[in-house]
Amino acid sequence: MKRLFTLFALAMFAAVPYAHAAEKGEAVVKAAVQKLVPSAKIDMVEKSPIEGYYQVIIGSQLVYVSADGRYVLQGTLYDTQDKVDLTAARMSREHVAKLDAYPESQRIIFAPASKAKYRITVFTDIDCGYCRKMHAHMAEYNERGIQVDYLFFPRSGPGTPSFDKAVSVWCAKDRRAAMTAAKAGKNPDPLTCENPITQEYQLGIAVGVEGTPAVYAEDGSRIGGYLTPDQLQAHLDRIAAARKSGS
Amino acid sequence: MRMLSTLLFASIAGSAMAATPEDVVNAALARLAPQVKVDVAQESVVPGFYEAIVGNQLVYVSKDGRHVFDGTARDASTDRDMTEAVYARKRRAALADVGADKRIVFAPARPRHTVTVFTDIDCQFCRRMHDQIDAYNELGIAVEYVFLPLDIHPGADRKSEAVWCAEDRKLAFTQAMAGADPGKAACENPVAETKRVARSIGIDGTPTTLAADGTKIAPQIALAPAQLLAELDRLAKNPLDSR
Repeated sequence: MKRLFTLFALAMFAAVPYAHAAEKGEAVVKAAVQKLVPSAKIDMVEKSPIEGYYQVIIGSQLVYVSADGRYVLQGTLYDTQDKVDLTAARMSREHVAKLDAYPESQRIIFAPASKAKYRITVFTDIDCGYCRKMHAHMAEYNERGIQVDYLFFPRSGPGTPSFDKAVSVWCAKDRRAAMTAAKAGKNPDPLTCENPITQEYQLGIAVGVEGTPAVYAEDGSRIGGYLTPDQLQAHLDRIAAARKSGS
Repeated sequence: MRMLSTLLFASIAGSAMAATPEDVVNAALARLAPQVKVDVAQESVVPGFYEAIVGNQLVYVSKDGRHVFDGTARDASTDRDMTEAVYARKRRAALADVGADKRIVFAPARPRHTVTVFTDIDCQFCRRMHDQIDAYNELGIAVEYVFLPLDIHPGADRKSEAVWCAEDRKLAFTQAMAGADPGKAACENPVAETKRVARSIGIDGTPTTLAADGTKIAPQIALAPAQLLAELDRLAKNPLDSR
């Protein structure tokens, strides 16, 4: 994003459009960002928590733009009173909508025997060491009432061995068994069939996955990275508690 | 500023109604990260914010003290990175303390530009850079080296001192950069001081190239003489004090 700004900023407006009235702010900000990065698909322009600034969501990025369209802030905004990362919190709300929209039938689900207390979505890569380490804890996650929904994110991208392995696991008769075997280091029997791997990879990019494993809680926040069962449970308990207290 | 996120859940300090930038900044950061020490708190060119320097990091604090922004502010009307400009001013001030008598200077007759390069004899990219010293000079770029021997290179300290203490410092430097061991020699030298200056402005890698105005040049640009010239020309057209 930063590079995009640098690239396109020279093509920037000679005259900055200033807002004439507060209600025009959104349109001014939208036009300013569009001029700055013509190729950007702006998903949302709305008032930000900071006086005089709007927030603009472009894919998995959030930037803050002054109401006159002149100042563009890219980074993390904290609320010192509630002690929260407002940027991440806002993006979590974007992510949760995208993640929830992804059908259960296309996930590889490892669920507890009894009713799940928590559900996490994990973007995974068969050839990633910490993904394998995480999978080795599966029984323990499940025992703690945590359901793990896997989506594939072969980091090397389409047309690579990791991607093909994901396809092979998806096309296996018993996906869960094939996943567990592959995570233990066994090369899956090469199979092809109609599969959602590309879709999952793109979803991963859309919600800001940069590495694997990428662990998302039900509120759309990314909580890891590799997490031991203790760490994972602590995160999920805290999120549940925060939700209960209404923050 | 990763520390802000780790300290996010640290205990709450009482909030204070305050008027000066110092008071607002101190109160806001104390709520977020009680153990940080604010070095500077001042007005910012970014509307609605004060700026605070904590260690070598710049963060923005909203004037009402409620919000802290950790990131980059850009003026879209001029394509200027306002955050980098603050850092550049700080580096420029620190460089002023490192006089010519503490540098090894390779300059053309009439330099168009001068860069300061923090260098380490045992760093491969530093050697690659010095390999091109004639090209830099021919383009009108004076290269002023200051020593920053890194701890990961045992012996680099000794080599820096030996080069500094050699009879022909520039020749000894060039030979050392070509792989010759300058041996051991002791005399009064500025190596400890230049290491301290580097640390004070957050420079912990080599080669680090700074333009005369303190702007940090990306390594891939600095290592290509023609690209470096283009970048220095661009910076000269865009003086720091108008940023």
